Amino acid sequence: MIRPAMDKSIGKNRATADVSERRELKWPMSTDRYMLWIDGVGAWQLCVGSQFLIGGPTLEDKSADICLMANLSRRHASLLRNGEDWFIHPHNSTVVSGRAVTGPTLLRTGDEICLAERVRLGFRIPSVLAGSALIDFESPHRPAHSVNGIILMTDSILLGSRKDHHVCCPDWPDLVVIYKQDGVLRCRSKASLTINGTRVRDSAVLSDGAIVSGDDLRFRIERLKDRQ
Amino acid sequence: MKFALAPESRPLEGYTIKRAIHRGGFGEVYYALTDAGKEVALKLLHNNMEVELRGVSQCLNLKHPNLVTIFDMRQDADKDHWIIMEYVGGKGLYEVLQENPAGLPLTEVFRWLHGMTAGLSFLHDRGLVHRDLKPANVFSDADQVKIGDVGLSKYISESRRSAQTHSVGTVYYMAPEVARGRYGREVDVYSLGIILYEMITGRVPFEGETTAEILMKHLTAEPDLTVLPEKLRPVLAAALEKDPDRRISDVEELERRFRKAIEESGFAIEKPTPVYTAKTSAKKSATALATTLLGNPNVATARNGSGLAGKWNSAAEFWHTRVPTPVKWVLCGSVLWLILRSGALQPLTAGGVIGGLAYLVYRTFFMKSPSRRTTQVAGSPLRPSQPGRPPILGASMPDSLMEGASQAVPVMARAQQRSMPPTPQLVQAAVPVSSIVYTPATLRQIPGSQRASDITTSMSVALAAAALVTTAVHLATDLLPDPADVAFFGSVTLLAAWALIVPAKVWEGRPGDAFVRRLIQGSLGLGVGAVAAILQRFLMLDETRLLHADGDGVFNGGNIGRIHVLESGLPTMAGFMMFFGLLFLVRRWWWQADSFRKSRFRISSSLVTLFLGVVLSAVMPFPEQLGAIWALAISAVVQLSSGWTPQENRLLAPSPSSAQVVPMMAQVRHAVASVPAGAGQRM
Repeated sequence: MIRPAMDKSIGKNRATADVSERRELKWPMSTDRYMLWIDGVGAWQLCVGSQFLIGGPTLEDKSADICLMANLSRRHASLLRNGEDWFIHPHNSTVVSGRAVTGPTLLRTGDEICLAERVRLGFRIPSVLAGSALIDFESPHRPAHSVNGIILMTDSILLGSRKDHHVCCPDWPDLVVIYKQDGVLRCRSKASLTINGTRVRDSAVLSDGAIVSGDDLRFRIERLKDRQ
Repeated sequence: MKFALAPESRPLEGYTIKRAIHRGGFGEVYYALTDAGKEVALKLLHNNMEVELRGVSQCLNLKHPNLVTIFDMRQDADKDHWIIMEYVGGKGLYEVLQENPAGLPLTEVFRWLHGMTAGLSFLHDRGLVHRDLKPANVFSDADQVKIGDVGLSKYISESRRSAQTHSVGTVYYMAPEVARGRYGREVDVYSLGIILYEMITGRVPFEGETTAEILMKHLTAEPDLTVLPEKLRPVLAAALEKDPDRRISDVEELERRFRKAIEESGFAIEKPTPVYTAKTSAKKSATALATTLLGNPNVATARNGSGLAGKWNSAAEFWHTRVPTPVKWVLCGSVLWLILRSGALQPLTAGGVIGGLAYLVYRTFFMKSPSRRTTQVAGSPLRPSQPGRPPILGASMPDSLMEGASQAVPVMARAQQRSMPPTPQLVQAAVPVSSIVYTPATLRQIPGSQRASDITTSMSVALAAAALVTTAVHLATDLLPDPADVAFFGSVTLLAAWALIVPAKVWEGRPGDAFVRRLIQGSLGLGVGAVAAILQRFLMLDETRLLHADGDGVFNGGNIGRIHVLESGLPTMAGFMMFFGLLFLVRRWWWQADSFRKSRFRISSSLVTLFLGVVLSAVMPFPEQLGAIWALAISAVVQLSSGWTPQENRLLAPSPSSAQVVPMMAQVRHAVASVPAGAGQRM
């Protein structure tokens, strides 16, 4: 059901450009940001990429991928996916599970990231089936709009009834997988789904604004274009 | 869950629905953004509802930080009514209660209670009654408690007979007089009382499978308050009073009395964990779980005892925490050896007896409330659990145990009254600081098979322990020069240890009267004494130094009354029986054998036992050194061989909680339609 290394064949030109940029830690990165509005469950910010910047609010065009209403610098820390592992690169005061860090640090599921002493974020990788991570808010600091959490998607995310899914939707009858293939997001499930009223066979592209409905589920994906 | 409106629909000009939040009893609630980006909650009222909008409209301009603000009320193109409200993002009390099935931490109980009290008190002051207070209506956003559905309750009362808005969730919190159509602010006090009960215990006081059953319980059943700390019982009883005229009339009064009761019970209100210390979330949730009011003595921070008691406590603490165990052994061993060698046994014993008697007299006549410490000197390692707290309640408490608790409490309460001083300070001096205390008095369920294997293991370990201790006595003293002496001493020690371990393991985790247990132990002691005497005859240990008593004790001629206990310097069978009988009777041996004793081998326990042996052999004619060493050896063997659970492993295993039966909708309708009338007659 889940295809590992699905983004192997992202458009070659962009991919190489990205890699060189990533090595130099340049910003802004090509992270795509979406909102997942899930009926009866909540709202999640979905960041797709392999490198995510955390920062405070700014009036400039370029804001961080994870922009929190908090007293953070604009580039406070970044989260990187490297191979199978997740790292945090601190650019400013950062504490990981009680340990102040200054250089790239491996993150483990269950770690607490504390930024600028006051902002506390939970880091976890809910499922062993996908490397995508989840950021929970442990202090009252949130993005400008209420979201339940932030999903850092590298390959795929799982939406289903279990606690070890990225988004736990208790009443859903079946697992829904969102994954990236050829640079676009797709969605598949055993349950019969419709996207914008069209029946899904096997899998389908999740375009901006797509409403996915099933027997007992409904969610909408919306691309965040502007950077606050 | 199907919702009427799709994402991105705009039922009202200027508002875009982003997602559905939930479906409540009287309408669907959506999360929406205004065109400028402000988040709001939109509540769509049921179309077929005979709406009385005055209820909401009079609440439109109420402003209070603990009430969910209503921004506006609008009608869409289909003439459906919408309420535009403040969006509250955080977790609701309903979810929080679901996540904490054993009750909330005390600080959280206070936070929620205080927020709800402030909001309700504001409403009451404005002449309004909420009428539908329940956890699903209470939210917390950035630590600010907010009560929702203000003004909507009007609909509920109006539409009650149509059963539209009733779910079981509502009736759990419904005051009995609502059945008669009476809606004073006492209704809110009652609901708040039920929520308070639920926050403390993790369950509502009146449960049932149907609405009818629950309503009937509200009308007739008394809430089970025995699961609550003792001081809280009258407060909750007054809040859950059936007659609204006799109930606490004011939510603030309820909060005040609750606070006072908590302070009086000696629960120190825990300071909230500083927000900014970086702890792992796992740890945090564990502590949060562990510090519920019922579950954990963490909340009862021990104040330092004053004066002498304080010094004694700090010395004891130093001994327990700072002195490494090997050093303790060396110190105790050398002191014992010195005492035995120097021949100071008799003067010391005499001094001990006189001192003990003097202290006993002092305690009996001059101290009004004996402190815990005195009972400890008398030989009980009892650590009192919290005042009023049944010790059975573990940190994560399974339902089945909770049920057991209600029966266990009266017994424990009596035991505590007997053994505990009434003043909280004195109690607190003995409450250990910040650790879950499971003592041998903790009631627990031990499967028969585990009990059996525990007994057999302990008995076989006792064999090795007895051999070890006997060898130690043989090497360290000159009491056992011959192999026959060694065999005699060793086998009697082993037999005595067995006679103590077996009943102790049978009693472990069960309630039982200490006096009866002592009597049983005493009679077993008589048996051990008889066997010892027979063995002595059999091994013909007549000439040995071991058994030769120097004096007659405090009695003349080796007789106690008409019983001949000493014959030509050797104890008779009666002498042996009396020694072991008394040794077994006086000490609470089952504490030394219990898995939940304080440490595997407690030197203080052994010392007290040794002292008892010394006293016994000094008072009655019995070989002095033998009496002392024997008592010590038996205590050592019992402690070394009985199974022991380290403190950190002492968890009461959770058992699957009984599944809640969700009532059928049909039942609910039927019940709501029929109950109020019938219930009214019963009142």
